[in-house]
Amino acid sequence: MSEKIYAWLLRLYPSHFRQAYGDDALQLFRDRARDEQGFFLRARLWIDLLADLAISLPREYRASQPALTRTLARKPWDGTPSFQVLEDEYPRFGALLFGSVLAVAAIAGFSVTLSHVEAYRLPRAAAVKAGRAEHAGSSPSQSPVAQPSGEAVRASGLPSAQNASLVAPSPRVRAGVDDTRLDAAERHRVVNAVAANLKAHYVDPEIAGKMADALLAHEKSGDDASATTGDVFAKLLTTQLREVSADMHLVVVYSRAPLPARPLGPTPEVLARYRNALQQNNCTFKKVEILPHDIGYLKLDSFPDPAICQSTATAAMGALNHADALIFDLRDNGGGYSEMVSLLAAYLFDHPEYMYDPRISPAQQSWTQSPVPGNRLADKPVYVLTSASTVSAAEQFTYDLKMLKRVTLVGETTGGSAHAGVFHRIDDHFGMGIPETRAVNPYSKTDWEGVGVGPDVKVNAADALQTAEKLAVSRLRTR
Amino acid sequence: MPKRKLDPLPSAAFQILLALAGEDLHGYGMMRQVQEQTGGRMRLGPGTLYSSIQALLEEKLIEEIDQVGDTEPGHERRRYYRLTSAGRKLARAEAERLADVLRVARARKIFRGDYV
Repeated sequence: MSEKIYAWLLRLYPSHFRQAYGDDALQLFRDRARDEQGFFLRARLWIDLLADLAISLPREYRASQPALTRTLARKPWDGTPSFQVLEDEYPRFGALLFGSVLAVAAIAGFSVTLSHVEAYRLPRAAAVKAGRAEHAGSSPSQSPVAQPSGEAVRASGLPSAQNASLVAPSPRVRAGVDDTRLDAAERHRVVNAVAANLKAHYVDPEIAGKMADALLAHEKSGDDASATTGDVFAKLLTTQLREVSADMHLVVVYSRAPLPARPLGPTPEVLARYRNALQQNNCTFKKVEILPHDIGYLKLDSFPDPAICQSTATAAMGALNHADALIFDLRDNGGGYSEMVSLLAAYLFDHPEYMYDPRISPAQQSWTQSPVPGNRLADKPVYVLTSASTVSAAEQFTYDLKMLKRVTLVGETTGGSAHAGVFHRIDDHFGMGIPETRAVNPYSKTDWEGVGVGPDVKVNAADALQTAEKLAVSRLRTR
Repeated sequence: MPKRKLDPLPSAAFQILLALAGEDLHGYGMMRQVQEQTGGRMRLGPGTLYSSIQALLEEKLIEEIDQVGDTEPGHERRRYYRLTSAGRKLARAEAERLADVLRVARARKIFRGDYV
């Protein structure tokens, strides 16, 4: 075995040396290996050999260098491209083959690395800002995206203090200037409250304890003293929590506008407003059409609460029941209810399928109620249009159906917002998101948090519908 | 290209010349002999050994001899080498040079006590 290794190492030498002394060198190795038994002597032998290799290899090649320079000097360059080799024989076939395999592997490795770099980009800030601007710009009646959810208000796991307004349906009254100054006593109160919340609610009590200790230690050592505004302090605490837990879904948020006293569970007025908004908007089922070639087209801008919108959803799917192919347009879909995801996905299968949602533990509604009586869509080709503003529950729909290989995704990589913690109010201005449950992903270790769901056919969002129609038509023709 | 490797004489090459001054040896024998005469300090690896041999051969300081009938049975034929007169001359010159160095070192009292 070791002789083979050494024989292989010998091939590093220039061929003229190998030819002249290769066998002798191998013989010498054999002699030494025979005479020098035992661990220590063997180790010494290998150290000797490697040191010898390091010293004599460059010398051998340097020794063959003069031959090369002489050749170059003898032959004046006449403009024809030529190259010189150190060896005076043609490269072996094996060497050429090995070289090309190595080159291909290197190129492949390089491109894989490049595409991964692209996947781990950080587009969040821009995407979130855009989403927020849109959010603020639309009137309440057109904005059913602010979802009040039943049992707990969900906070998206973004490290932004302004998330408070997204997680809790609070009136966003932005003060012109930030006049809240934090002193040591105030900070101490917040730190204690955060620690208490962690211990009471965090998914792993041991890590919760460690995080609480770290927060107190940071405060004691004066690390927090520079944080005199709520914004900065909330970010600092978030950083400190993540340093310990590496849990990106933990977030401390600060809201200039007072947080509502009862953020757990939306008020009846908010619910009524949401219900109204949905009904005026046809439950965000923006378009239900049959396109040429009997392609069904559904533009859906959120996944609304089935408690309010089940009949609308059923009607929409019923209207598309005789289509030969389906296009779900989720390019402007801001998410919503996992239950609606399951409800719509049910039409695409003839047997119950598990709709994985990282935010909730598997429950009855995680399974589609397939087959749906009278449904004819279970075996029809389905295309889903996505864009960078396709987020949250829309990504769950996209991700699960992609993983189940039921749909073809056309468009752009989605926004990448998967996780949520349950929101806990600390006081009028501070709150925090704490992950309390975590569903096991049946497909891979990670989900779409931060990276989005990649399309099968990558085109600009604006061209996605046209592309999907073409795909559907050509697919239907080949049938 | 004359004297491309052996001027100044590398210590490995010098030790090989000294080893061959005693008797004709094959590669492994030289390595053992060198190890012995340097008190185990110099163990020539195959690369160093054979590139030195190559250089010494080119300069005709040593020559290859045909020695049939290896003392150890069951082993393939080994190449034995012998010191040429030029090699012996060069080794002597190098030794004298070192002796000069030694003399200077003594005069400068580099050595301690009665070592010398």
